[in-house]
Amino acid sequence: MAEADSIREGFLCPICHKDMRSPNNLITHFQDLHSEEQDILKSIKDIYGIAKKKILKIDDKDLELFKKEITLEKYYLEYSEPQQPGPVRSHTDYFKSVRRERLDHRTTETNKLVIRLDRLLRFYGSDRKQQEQELVAWLDGSTVSRCPSCASTFNITRRQHHCRLCGSIMCNSCSCFLSYETAQTIVAPVSSVSNREHGPSRESDSLRICHHCLDMLESRRRVQIEQMIQPIICQLYSHLQKNKFQIQSSVDMYNKMYNSLISGETTYLLQDLQALRTTIADKAQMIDTLSKKIASLPVEVETPKAAALQNSIRKATSIYIKDYLLTLPAPPSLQELEKLRRSCVVKSSEEELVPTPRTNIKKVTVTTGWSPAHVTNDRAVAEDEDPLLEQMSIVRNYIAQARKAQRFEEVASLQENLDMLKKMYREQQQTMSNNTKSDK
Amino acid sequence: MNVIAAVKAYVVKMTEESEPGMKVLLMDKETTSVISMVYGQSEIQQKEVFLLERIDSPNYANSTGLRYLKCLVFLRPTQQNIEALCAELRNPKYGAYYVYFSNIIAKADIKLLAEHDEHEVVKEVQELYMDYLAVNPHLFSIGLPTCMNSLSWQQGALQRTVQGIISLLLSLKKCPAIRFQANSGLCKDLGTRIDEVMSKESSLFAFGQSSQPLLLIIDRRDDPITPLLNQWTYQAMVHELLTINNNRVNLSNVPGVSKDLSEVVLSAEQDSFYAKNIFMNYGEIGQNIKQLMDQFQAKAKSHQKIESIADMKSFVETYPQFKKLSGNVTKHVTVVGELSAMVNKHHLLDVSEVEQEISSQNDHSSHLHSIKKLLSNEKVRNSDAVKLVMLYALRYQNHSSNELTGLVEALKKRNVSERLLRNIVNIMEYAGSHARQSDLFNVENAVKITKRFIKGLSGVDNVYTQHKPLLHETLEELVKGRLKDHLYPYIGNHFSGAKPQDVIIFMVGGVTYEESLTVHTFNKNYPSCSILLGGTTVHNSASFLEEVEQATRNVPRRHTRNIRNIKFD
Repeated sequence: MAEADSIREGFLCPICHKDMRSPNNLITHFQDLHSEEQDILKSIKDIYGIAKKKILKIDDKDLELFKKEITLEKYYLEYSEPQQPGPVRSHTDYFKSVRRERLDHRTTETNKLVIRLDRLLRFYGSDRKQQEQELVAWLDGSTVSRCPSCASTFNITRRQHHCRLCGSIMCNSCSCFLSYETAQTIVAPVSSVSNREHGPSRESDSLRICHHCLDMLESRRRVQIEQMIQPIICQLYSHLQKNKFQIQSSVDMYNKMYNSLISGETTYLLQDLQALRTTIADKAQMIDTLSKKIASLPVEVETPKAAALQNSIRKATSIYIKDYLLTLPAPPSLQELEKLRRSCVVKSSEEELVPTPRTNIKKVTVTTGWSPAHVTNDRAVAEDEDPLLEQMSIVRNYIAQARKAQRFEEVASLQENLDMLKKMYREQQQTMSNNTKSDK
Repeated sequence: MNVIAAVKAYVVKMTEESEPGMKVLLMDKETTSVISMVYGQSEIQQKEVFLLERIDSPNYANSTGLRYLKCLVFLRPTQQNIEALCAELRNPKYGAYYVYFSNIIAKADIKLLAEHDEHEVVKEVQELYMDYLAVNPHLFSIGLPTCMNSLSWQQGALQRTVQGIISLLLSLKKCPAIRFQANSGLCKDLGTRIDEVMSKESSLFAFGQSSQPLLLIIDRRDDPITPLLNQWTYQAMVHELLTINNNRVNLSNVPGVSKDLSEVVLSAEQDSFYAKNIFMNYGEIGQNIKQLMDQFQAKAKSHQKIESIADMKSFVETYPQFKKLSGNVTKHVTVVGELSAMVNKHHLLDVSEVEQEISSQNDHSSHLHSIKKLLSNEKVRNSDAVKLVMLYALRYQNHSSNELTGLVEALKKRNVSERLLRNIVNIMEYAGSHARQSDLFNVENAVKITKRFIKGLSGVDNVYTQHKPLLHETLEELVKGRLKDHLYPYIGNHFSGAKPQDVIIFMVGGVTYEESLTVHTFNKNYPSCSILLGGTTVHNSASFLEEVEQATRNVPRRHTRNIRNIKFD
């Protein structure tokens, strides 16, 4: 008989597992008993505005059958064993050591250039050229007959020029020019503007440097700029992810509470479950709006990928809502819950009766009309002296607070505490009553 | 051993290691296939991968990047890819790079990459071993449409196959003993190369395994029959008639097909109906689909009854699942509808009946008669007619009253193209009796073909086939520990005779879905052993004949001089 209970088939109500014997009965049962829960519906409505019309065309008893048909079938392709992830070989350390060797060199070079640049910017006056040459030793031009970068011969029309930063030689067309303005920002990215106001006026407003030096300075500048910029999409996205993360923990909690309720435990209240469901629905609404906002961010013409990215985020979010949030089981109705509880209480009391006769005694003492235990009990409450009772009322208070704040993990642990206190209290009363009995 | 789960585990690792944030996945042509075999786009989006890029696409180098994205790089360690990645690192489009290679990579290449990472954008460099296509949990492919030139390995193909199998072994943590088909030089070459890599990379292959697995390398040429036959189980049939390419079926040639069904994805991972019916017989699928359709139709009729909010709500709640299902059902209705149209149009039932008889019975005169009858049938496709003659030619190659010349004349009368006719010669050169070591037609099968008619979708009949691929016999001997050492010798010094628990079968020249079903059935019937099947590719008859043509190009005719009425220029 017990086995027959565990596996049942027929027109079962998905929520209370009651066999309704016919599809029509099941539908009426559904309408009568499971018709609360309007909150989540509200938030779903706009997501499914379009879908609604389609949905309205379909009958749910068929849907139920249809779902059963699909989900109950055993997959033909099944996994015999979970597959452990295979081995991995990491080259990261080697990669980084090679990179470090090269980059260290490059960084010192770049830093050297920046220091020189800083000095160069301070030179002014007629002996500037001399000062420049003192800072950076210019290459001796007499032995260089061709431009090292384009290999053209130097002559009267194509003169030699020197890079002010490294002193190397190049022709005019191979020279690069770094404007003082840019140079100032490289040297002192933040305070550049005010400094320049006071600086002496320049006859030429740029520095002649070679390609190589410009490259190094440019890439340094680019890194600095990129570190400062954080586009709006990143902020929205991190907001979205944060909410999603919270939802995930709420969903886990919800499932835990749902299972606990369904199995007849009293740790959580039905209101808790409903409140949490509303919270999840609100959050779902929130991430829905956020993803819409991301999708509608303006896209610059030169970055078509951003549009694809934004749409993709939007799509992923709506799939997440559909597949993970809307599939949560609806909370049971009050009547349902009562029924569940009753059946569970019967079961558990039966269980308790058989193995521990001690609890039997306890039960009698609690339920018989007048007993010394009751007297002490009443007195304790009246005088409010028993520390256990005091403790219990404090814990109860905490529970109420935690519940209000929707911190259900805490509710659960506090509830456990409370149960323990109750048990201790009961045992204490027991011994006291026994003592009084034996005294008599 | 489950290749799909193995690849999935790696992908999960890849997406999780890079920490939260918006991601782009940068791949090459082949790694794109690797990933798309196990993950759909919407699934991978849930792992924060919002953009997919191809490093080898012509526009990629000039496209603009998004610095705020993290870039997961998943590439094969080829020269081309290393160069492209070097260029990418010098001018990074994205903020951070997590670089994963699908196979063993040379240290020199790592060094080269490191030298190009001037912007310090690379955070990780790793090898994840998934250099093969996971088709089903027990089936993988290297993805090489052809692998032979002049009846020996194409150099690139041998290298690719070695890499593919090495990565497979690593991903499953197997360090196997290797056996190969004795009469095939290709199998020996492959086995030797794999053995070399395994000893060279012995540190990677040091798994603490309780029993030694077996890698058995066999040659397609030992069984040229299986890929020529018409198929009647769902996956095999779809591949034979419509061609499955990386889980995708092109339906754009089907008359009246809607736009969103012009290419459909058939993936057992995401499509429960497909997973359930993948090995079902044609008639059974028809029935299953009919049931689903009936329910849909019933729904269409009796629906107006949603009045209360509760009704509607329960709909909305189950809608996503429902929508997915209905999408799948329309897809399969279209696919099965097309299969059924082709079966009827080309009289495939009649053709298949004769094919099955030739492949599993010995009755020359009646077979000859049936073939002649079909050759005179206008509805039978030329390609089917030629395949029938090929089966005859293979079966009765040394029969005293061989009438191949007469059949070829009959084909010529049907205006069969020269190319198809030459394929008859090609397949005899490729896999005639000289090339086979097993007795392909040994089993005298007295069972008559059973053709059962079950009314499912109109016009869908059920067919139970009697042909069993040669692989079936090989496996039977293998699991009983009776596979002969002189026919399937070991590479290196190995103790023989033990019954291995984990067996990886690799077929040079491609496998078929019929053989995949055979392996699946074996795994079910012998739960104590686990068999994995792989091949250079997964063939249907058309792709197989192309492979045969490629393999025998410029090969002098040694064994087919008797077929005088087919001439090569």
